[in-house]
Amino acid sequence: MGVTVDVAYKSLNKFTEILCGDSVEILKTADSDILILADGMGSGVKANILSTLTSKILGTMFLNGATLDECVATIVETLPVCQVRGVAYSTFSILQVFHSGDAYLVEFDNPGCIFIRDGKLMEIPRSIREIDGKKINEFRFRVKKGDALVLMSDGTIHAGVGQLLNFGWLWEDIADYAVKEYGKTVSAIRLATAICHACDELYMFRPGDDTTVACMRIIDSKPVHLMTGPASNADDDERMVADFVGDPNARTIVCGGTSSTIVSRVLKKPLDVSMDYVDPEIPPIAFMEGIDLVTEGVLTLNRVLQLLRRYVKKESVAEDFFEELDKPNGGSMVAKMIIEDCTEIHMFVGKAINSAYQNPGLPFDLGIRQNLVEQLKNTLEEMGKPVTVTYY
Amino acid sequence: MKVTICIGSACHLKGSREIIKEMQDLVSARGLKDKVDLNGAFCSGNCVKEGVCVTVDGTLFSLKPEECTEFFEKEIVGRL
Repeated sequence: MGVTVDVAYKSLNKFTEILCGDSVEILKTADSDILILADGMGSGVKANILSTLTSKILGTMFLNGATLDECVATIVETLPVCQVRGVAYSTFSILQVFHSGDAYLVEFDNPGCIFIRDGKLMEIPRSIREIDGKKINEFRFRVKKGDALVLMSDGTIHAGVGQLLNFGWLWEDIADYAVKEYGKTVSAIRLATAICHACDELYMFRPGDDTTVACMRIIDSKPVHLMTGPASNADDDERMVADFVGDPNARTIVCGGTSSTIVSRVLKKPLDVSMDYVDPEIPPIAFMEGIDLVTEGVLTLNRVLQLLRRYVKKESVAEDFFEELDKPNGGSMVAKMIIEDCTEIHMFVGKAINSAYQNPGLPFDLGIRQNLVEQLKNTLEEMGKPVTVTYY
Repeated sequence: MKVTICIGSACHLKGSREIIKEMQDLVSARGLKDKVDLNGAFCSGNCVKEGVCVTVDGTLFSLKPEECTEFFEKEIVGRL
């Protein structure tokens, strides 16, 4: 059935800590997507090491086909023992969703996974099994398009304990909030950020514990095609445009003045260039029938790269990031489509050198398209989006 | 009269935004909205010139932001 997922997470560090004691691993195998959340005991460096070890061991072993029992045994033997508490301890949740629609959930001591389907909370039955003296919930089920699954560390249910709320934010109340936000948000990152932000408010912006929310939404595959730069040999223009618009399921973005002029010529569709300078640093966008987004090239792509980098560095992703992403300038619009509405991206890159850009009088080096494309590709891969680049 | 101002990368860096703003102000201050049709355009392939590419009824000019008022009087109002 070809299940695709949109997966993202957001963490808050315990107040005054530089490192987060929760770790998240997002992995892809040939036939599945895996999301792992581990919460190390304590906070700061120690917790960070424990959770990193746990999530990395689980991820690496799972990727190589180890069973859950082997994974747990390895973790128990590997984790360093805490001097204060005399135990080695990190909680974890593992969610694996296969492209076939089968899902596998393992939970050890984390708050339960929130499972939302058709705007309603679904119950995940408990099926406890004991491995090495640890009670582990292991459960297999089916997912379908539109489902959302939320993993979290206990920083969420402890939010506001003893301050704004007597007993913290109860799981049921978080689940209700998640269901409400599920209806309002389109992407995994917005849902994760919304829940995390609510926790932050309950903590009065001084989190008493590391808090992490990781979301997976089951969606249709959403390929995006992005074309930038004219082909180095003008005879290849038509072939390049034909490849670019060749997939009727893919959304299309053209980044580049000359490139969009070429697309307009080849497709015989007029190009309507806006004069609305919504952002003084980035030229306005344009409109063309059949193309989802048309923007200027290098300056816009440079802004896109900055936004994607901010996204990859999770700590700066908060409400103000989404405000930036929702702005109607070319850079934000491209970044938003890539972050929130794209499961894989194919870039069609022309290698022609624009002689006008070889002008030392310009305040910005415009001759950096291929370099930008390389950096974009690396950043997209860090985001976990498969990227293909074709040069012309 | 159709006036097209390039907003491609190179022209943008040379001041398209200032020129568009000033042209729009001049057009409305003179009450010429019915006569002068301002448009944006992507690269017309003439970016090697010193200024921003501006076409007035098909004739290409290269314009720097500081020359805008003078240009407007001469090439736009002067041709109406």
